[in-house]
Amino acid sequence: MMSLIRGGVDGGQQQPMAGWLEGDPMYADKQLVIRHTIPPNGLSFSGVLDIFNADSVASSLSDQLHGQGDLHIDLSNVEFCDVSGIRALVTAAETAGDGRRLVLHGLPPLLQKVMTLVGWGELPTLALCDCGTEQQ
Amino acid sequence: MSDRGAHAHAGYRHDALLHAGTAEFVARTAPFIRAGVAAGEPVLVVTSGEKIQLLRSELGEDAQRVRFADMAQVGANPARIIPFWSEFVDQCAGAGRPFRGIGEPIWAGRSEAELVECQRHESLLNVALSQETPMWLLCPYDTEALEPEVIREALRSHPFVTEGTTQRESGVFRGNVASAAPFDAPLPPPPSGCHEFEFGPGGLATVREIVAGAAYGAGLRAARVADLVQAAHEVAVNSVRHGGGRGILRVWRDVDALVCEVSDQGRINEPLVGRQRPGARAAARRGLWLANQLCDLVQIRSTPSGSIVRLVMHS
Repeated sequence: MMSLIRGGVDGGQQQPMAGWLEGDPMYADKQLVIRHTIPPNGLSFSGVLDIFNADSVASSLSDQLHGQGDLHIDLSNVEFCDVSGIRALVTAAETAGDGRRLVLHGLPPLLQKVMTLVGWGELPTLALCDCGTEQQ
Repeated sequence: MSDRGAHAHAGYRHDALLHAGTAEFVARTAPFIRAGVAAGEPVLVVTSGEKIQLLRSELGEDAQRVRFADMAQVGANPARIIPFWSEFVDQCAGAGRPFRGIGEPIWAGRSEAELVECQRHESLLNVALSQETPMWLLCPYDTEALEPEVIREALRSHPFVTEGTTQRESGVFRGNVASAAPFDAPLPPPPSGCHEFEFGPGGLATVREIVAGAAYGAGLRAARVADLVQAAHEVAVNSVRHGGGRGILRVWRDVDALVCEVSDQGRINEPLVGRQRPGARAAARRGLWLANQLCDLVQIRSTPSGSIVRLVMHS
């Protein structure tokens, strides 16, 4: 599904998922940067997603959900994400219409566990890509 | 002897079974299980692995129609037991027949902190299921192994008591209203000189750092450090959101555990908070549910002057 070409700059501390090419930031605050990625059609998150930026992130995400096809999200560089942060992703996924999904990639193991524990592991509009080990 | 089989339990029934030793445990629970099996009722037994083995051999073929679960796994953190029963109730609901359970959350090896949370759990069981739920739940208490005060508390937390072959109303049951009241049993005070940090909305990253440092220092494995950090963060978020905007974090080492406590000026008025599996809806609250799933023990207290959430992680 994904090419083996590594996106980002070699030697950089935080690289996107293998095969992902990062573009300009579409959101930034003191603890989180979100960049566009092409390919795939998506966003890469880097930093901390929690109660303080969850609402802003949710509204930024909803702006991205007007296009066609799934929106892919690279979470492999998320250092910490709390329930409010996950809620922002879930809320965005709920508002995506027309069979559009949010596809989450590179979930840190704890984040995946937390999503399952709080009951958000299996939503029709929120897919978890089993590709967390691609980056290493 | 088959008064247990004849008894119709149209609604929810929560009984303490007082028995002296393991032999009497088997002698009293096996007929209760058999009566359920004979009536075609689903039966779920949650007790120790050892007692499950004894019951299996006593029940013979009937055991195949009984579901067993190890309480040491289900109820290591007693706050996870009610969701387990709720799941059983959901599975049985709609089949049009009653069902039965045996649940033994309290055994002699429980720590003091676990014991008091188990006792809170027993009280909450009175209000966790609707009174129309056609479940008969029997909670064994071993009078040979448990302290007399534990038995006395069992009489206060159960509307009905079975002793020998007689069943009776407890007489000292505290009632459903008191069962659901905010839990204010005092906790042992934190040790003097424990790490203390007052946080506001901007202090959550520091909360995470302090907890992570202490957890590594206590020798917790990395995955459990991350679990505890996540839980402490969510509890601190509750203080920022619902507890007056601020809270105090205290962290200390216990004999075999790391303890993180968050106190604030909020009140926790929902008795079943953290014990109801959240649905998929985005709005549902999840912080204390998550803490219960991630930590070995969670102690929640609420008084008119504020609330305390204590997270325990064994090292």
